[in-house]
Amino acid sequence: MLFSPPLWAAPEQLPTNLKWITNNDDPSWASPKAIKGGTYRMVMANFPLTLRTVGPDSNTGLRSAINGNQMSLVGTHPQTNKPIPELATHWAYDQDGVTTYYKLDPNARWSDGLKVTADDYLFAVEFMRSKHIVAPWYNDWYTNGIVEAKKYDDYTIAITGSAPKSPEDMHYYYGFQPKAKHFYTMDENWVRDYNWKIAPNTGAYQVSKIRKGKYLRFERKKNWWAKDYKYNVNRFNVDKVHYKVIRDNNIAYRHFLRGELDVFGATLPNFWHDKMQGGLYQEGYINKIWFYNETPQPSIGFSLNQTHPLLADKNIRLGFAHSLNIALMLKTVLRGDYERLTSYADGFGDYSNPDIEPYPFDLTKADELFSQAGFSQRGPDGIRTNDKQRLSFSVTYSQSAHTQRLVVLKQEAKKAGLEIVLQLLDGASAYKNVIEKKHEIAFMGFGGGANPQYWAAWHSDNANKPQTNNITNTADPLMDELTTAYKFGISTEQKQKLSKQILQLIHDNGAFIPMYKVPYVRLAYWKWMKLPAHHGTKRSNTLFEPFNNEYGVHFGAISWIDVAEKQATKDALSDSEVFDPVTIIDATFKVRQ
Amino acid sequence: MIKLNPITLKQWQRFKSIKRGYWSAVIFAALLLLTVFAELLVSNRALIVSYDGELYFPSYGAIIPGKELGLNYKYETNYRDLKLAFKDSDNWLLLPPIPFDPLENHFIEGEFPPYAPSIKHRHYLGTDNTGRDIAARLIYGFRIAIWFSLLLLFFNYLIGVSVGSLMGFMGGKFDLFFQRIIEIWSNIPFLYVIMIIASIVVPGFWTLIGVMILFGWMSMTWYMRTATYKENSRDYVMAAKAIGATNSSIIFRHIMPNTISIMVTFIPFSIASGITALTALDYLGFGLPPPTPSWGELLRQGTDNLDAPWIIASVVTGMTLILVMVTYIGEAIREAFDPKKFTTYE
Repeated sequence: MLFSPPLWAAPEQLPTNLKWITNNDDPSWASPKAIKGGTYRMVMANFPLTLRTVGPDSNTGLRSAINGNQMSLVGTHPQTNKPIPELATHWAYDQDGVTTYYKLDPNARWSDGLKVTADDYLFAVEFMRSKHIVAPWYNDWYTNGIVEAKKYDDYTIAITGSAPKSPEDMHYYYGFQPKAKHFYTMDENWVRDYNWKIAPNTGAYQVSKIRKGKYLRFERKKNWWAKDYKYNVNRFNVDKVHYKVIRDNNIAYRHFLRGELDVFGATLPNFWHDKMQGGLYQEGYINKIWFYNETPQPSIGFSLNQTHPLLADKNIRLGFAHSLNIALMLKTVLRGDYERLTSYADGFGDYSNPDIEPYPFDLTKADELFSQAGFSQRGPDGIRTNDKQRLSFSVTYSQSAHTQRLVVLKQEAKKAGLEIVLQLLDGASAYKNVIEKKHEIAFMGFGGGANPQYWAAWHSDNANKPQTNNITNTADPLMDELTTAYKFGISTEQKQKLSKQILQLIHDNGAFIPMYKVPYVRLAYWKWMKLPAHHGTKRSNTLFEPFNNEYGVHFGAISWIDVAEKQATKDALSDSEVFDPVTIIDATFKVRQ
Repeated sequence: MIKLNPITLKQWQRFKSIKRGYWSAVIFAALLLLTVFAELLVSNRALIVSYDGELYFPSYGAIIPGKELGLNYKYETNYRDLKLAFKDSDNWLLLPPIPFDPLENHFIEGEFPPYAPSIKHRHYLGTDNTGRDIAARLIYGFRIAIWFSLLLLFFNYLIGVSVGSLMGFMGGKFDLFFQRIIEIWSNIPFLYVIMIIASIVVPGFWTLIGVMILFGWMSMTWYMRTATYKENSRDYVMAAKAIGATNSSIIFRHIMPNTISIMVTFIPFSIASGITALTALDYLGFGLPPPTPSWGELLRQGTDNLDAPWIIASVVTGMTLILVMVTYIGEAIREAFDPKKFTTYE
């Protein structure tokens, strides 16, 4: 690190014109009725291969739980969307738009009792840049994304990013979690040595027990340093969180019915409508909730590879879009429970474009478009041909559960004279096939962050080369201009305007055909599981979440277990008592009717 | 060709006298024949359409667009709808007994699939979770499974019997060499190979057969090797050698007819194992690509949707019947070919 700038500056070098901000005035989103205690029993499909949160094999389902117990500098209030203090009590923005200053909370403690100081932040950067963690993405981000972290004194730091951002984006992009400097030894054996070590954390819970392959348990810290802070009161209620490994969803459901799990997902239509009827549901032991939220939706749909000679033709792409009877599929196989995704970025508030209407199933229109592309004749099997080739595309996808959704589209597309060949590959192969741009059409979903991202997926810099996210191989000068402007834009208003334009362009181009979204959470839960009266917040993408959300929007940790009621319920079950059935449908945050 | 000598005739008589096996064989043969003409029994295409004085036979060949039969679309005619449209006219059509295609999604307004069995909707065994007729999928699934199994059997035996006989006949280094090859080869876990292949490419009918032959030909070799060794030391082989018969004529004309009983006895069980292997692969998701009708896929759906019991019931019943029949046939053949005629299986 010979040429890196000094990481340490004297306190008096701190700019004097800083306007320190804090926020302790927003309302609490927890319930005053919450009771502490109980063990919340959850399921995980696989036991993680490591407890590390970076490095090989660390992208596990459990990582969000572990990271959810590492506090950030600043969190986001789930109702007001404003920053709220976490490890930092105050923050200030520099004029340059790239640097944020933080005053750290001197009360903050690691789980082993040591103080969290500025050194832990400087170490976090060093850690993330280290080759020993074998995490190229993080290496790159903490080198080129986050330029430096500077210490002014033990409790004052500054973080500088590479590109200007609006104040609300600064925390999201450039804020990061500290790493306990005293805990880590960085050497080439790091990946192996820290596989199963429990790293000190700052959050409410810590891993307390592991049986590899069987279960993993978190326990609430007795004297957590932040437990009396305003935004933490009445939250983090359960004593223990127990993750049990059950590999098969149907078997996990049996465990739930026996009362060995507290909550069970009911998003799948056959669970909500068929399996979760009568019996314990009718007798009121298990309640159900259908909670609409307004969260960014993953871009689930068909990505058409425009290097394919036929798909390079816009008429064929749009014809394809008009040949998909998504409405029928949603209405029948998915029972009208899922909704049509309207665009590439749906549910992002003012970043989304409400004027876009997805292409409907329209055989006349499809006929017109395909004919313009030279496919006006139909072969003996009813599929269009242009003398040389049939109008046939393979759709690559990776989840066998999606087959039943795609077969309906396949059958209906025949009416338009289009053949869809289903190519079900195993997850890793499908991903490789698509990321190397060997697919014709991919059926996939891309999850996003708080704001939509376009540059990686739509800029021509990423087209026609493997291992980039531009899987439609879009190379359009106008798109390049817009996505670049969006990427480096600072003003929120400007970015929102650009986002709308980009979405319109994607829609017109027809290389991404949006499929569906699930703008709600559906769960079944034993009656001893309790939620606040408002059930959740606009941003809740799940309910009964025991920890903070990994990325700082803190809708979680507001549920609790009524231990007395749990005992009473178990007694009632053996006495065959009957309660009123409960099915809650909360449409407070439902966007469109 | 092997001539029908008195012993063969006697074996046939004996086989016929075992009623259970004989009738199973008759029914099984009939089913096999039916699968060839499945389009006439199970299809969404009509058998005969009489429209404006002209007769159409849509079952085979190119599709007939709706326009040609007086409907307002260019895609394939929906003959069930056409029948309703013909109601009050001179035109008529005849639908197959099960008027559904195995790939066709049939949705009933106001209900959600899977639909329970119903005479009214002509889904005699109900539908699966995308509204596809189970009877149709069961029958077409059987067609694929049985022909898959027969083809597999043919190639496995072709290779297995040839290699086995050669090993027995030639003996020595050739025998030793192939023994080791087979030992090594049979230790490669077949399921893993299939899983690896299925994760890279979508396995088709022929790929699957290819892979299964690759790992399936060994089992017959051991039996044929032993039998050939035994026959090889008999006097008639010696005699054939003495008069200068070629090796191939000794193997195929003299030895093989005398070892035929071993092959014949194994055939039914090989068929059964071929069907179960394909079903198992489909069940695990490494078999034929969707949306091919298959028993394994139905089994998977059935176990995932136990609250729609008609799915699992249909496929389990179908499979049990077929496998029981095949086993009965196998039993009867074994008994018919048994030199110790006094044993019985009852």
